[in-house]
Amino acid sequence: MNIIEVEHLHKVFRIPHEKRNTLFETIAGLLRPPVYETFHALKDINFTVEEGEMLGIIGQNGSGKSTLLKILARILVPTEGLVRVKKRVTPFLELGVGFNQDFTAAENIRIYGIIMGLSPREIDEKSDYILEFADLVKFRDTKLRNFSSGMQVRLAFSTAIQTRPQILLLDEVLAVGDQEFQKKCLEELERFKREGVTIILVSHDLGAVKQHCERTLLLDHGVQVMIGETDEVVERYEKVG
Amino acid sequence: MRIQHIKELYDYRNLIWVLAWTDFKERYKNSVLGYFWSLLEPLLMLGVLYIVFSNLMKVQVEHYQLFLLQGIIMWSFFTRSTSGSLYALKFKTPLIKKVYFPRDILVISSCITALLMSIFESIVFLVFLLFFMIPLSLNILFLPVIIFLYFIIALGTSLVLSALNVFYHDIQYIWALVLQVGFFATPVIYPLNVFPQYLQDILKYNPLAQVIYLARDVTLYSKVPNLASFLFVIFIAMIILGIGYAIFMRLEPRFAEEV
Repeated sequence: MNIIEVEHLHKVFRIPHEKRNTLFETIAGLLRPPVYETFHALKDINFTVEEGEMLGIIGQNGSGKSTLLKILARILVPTEGLVRVKKRVTPFLELGVGFNQDFTAAENIRIYGIIMGLSPREIDEKSDYILEFADLVKFRDTKLRNFSSGMQVRLAFSTAIQTRPQILLLDEVLAVGDQEFQKKCLEELERFKREGVTIILVSHDLGAVKQHCERTLLLDHGVQVMIGETDEVVERYEKVG
Repeated sequence: MRIQHIKELYDYRNLIWVLAWTDFKERYKNSVLGYFWSLLEPLLMLGVLYIVFSNLMKVQVEHYQLFLLQGIIMWSFFTRSTSGSLYALKFKTPLIKKVYFPRDILVISSCITALLMSIFESIVFLVFLLFFMIPLSLNILFLPVIIFLYFIIALGTSLVLSALNVFYHDIQYIWALVLQVGFFATPVIYPLNVFPQYLQDILKYNPLAQVIYLARDVTLYSKVPNLASFLFVIFIAMIILGIGYAIFMRLEPRFAEEV
């Protein structure tokens, strides 16, 4: 069954030349129509994702990978075309969204967990395990502002991984923590895969894409270059450069 | 669509609450006197206004201290919820750019934070009620309904302000002016009958004035709420919420690109 269907998707950003930031400027400028520059971030994207599949998305910086993920996550609205997502999406676009530096680790697990869709009950049950997984048990009641950035990312990932996603969107978040922590993360990812979670992985790490994704989508300047077997797509990408 | 949206909000109830509660806690976290500040503020204001208005201006109102205190607490709720909501979207930019949830949640939770602060301040009011031995009647049971309607009015207004403030940065200055005028057009420190008749005829259409009158009637004066004002407030609350959502929903798709 197709769990994600994307047809003729376009995304155009409008970048105004002169930004009208106040009501006054807007009223004063009513007679002069604003001049916009348009940026075509995605051009005619078409693909489907099967339930339980792991799809990679690769391409250079500015090729539209993150924009595509944001549209799938309902954060951005398509300019044209159709996007059908049939189950709940859990986006890991950035880790630790909503972290508050003035609160303790335990409090932040609660806030972030709820943002990521956990129920308060699940958080109560899992917060010990989350701290353990992040290797931060000692710092349960330490304010987040005293954490290093590595510790914060570990806390965020350990919390986020506790959600029970149906569709998981990953944007470069695997590159966190030290080797050992990365290994743990990949194990969790494999567990999700075994449990039949549909995963979309955006990455520059071609090795990881090759290892985990059956199929891959290659984007270049917003254009869908090719979608198919990961090995072929990666080969094409490496050839084109 | 409406019903669906309410259902979606219900699914996100934990998020609404956690956002409101953390903002409430954060407000007092870094101050030495903590929660005590929020009780001190209305008390100080009460002291000053009471001295000025009962001695200099000779306002003649029964239970004036409580009249004043209730006015201050209720007015602060409106200014806090609406001014706080001006930044409800802007200060949560990372959330808007990185996760999906119905965006009105940010405004709702910001209004709830304001409500929590007002409820907390009401402790002072309760103490005063007991101290002056004001007789209460069963009519006080109307108070939660009145507060609910007041919340709806504040929420509707906040939805408009928060959405517009994403696109027009001067909304905050305009709104500060509106609030200043509003303070004097609302019976916070004096009853409206201090004004000449023609002004009273205009000001009675101020929904905040009606809400505050209703609240005072049922708490301080053991009166049954005036049916006409009650219906007027219900009507206005629905209209403001409707307009608020219409504007908010229209601008919502562009939030993630604009904040």
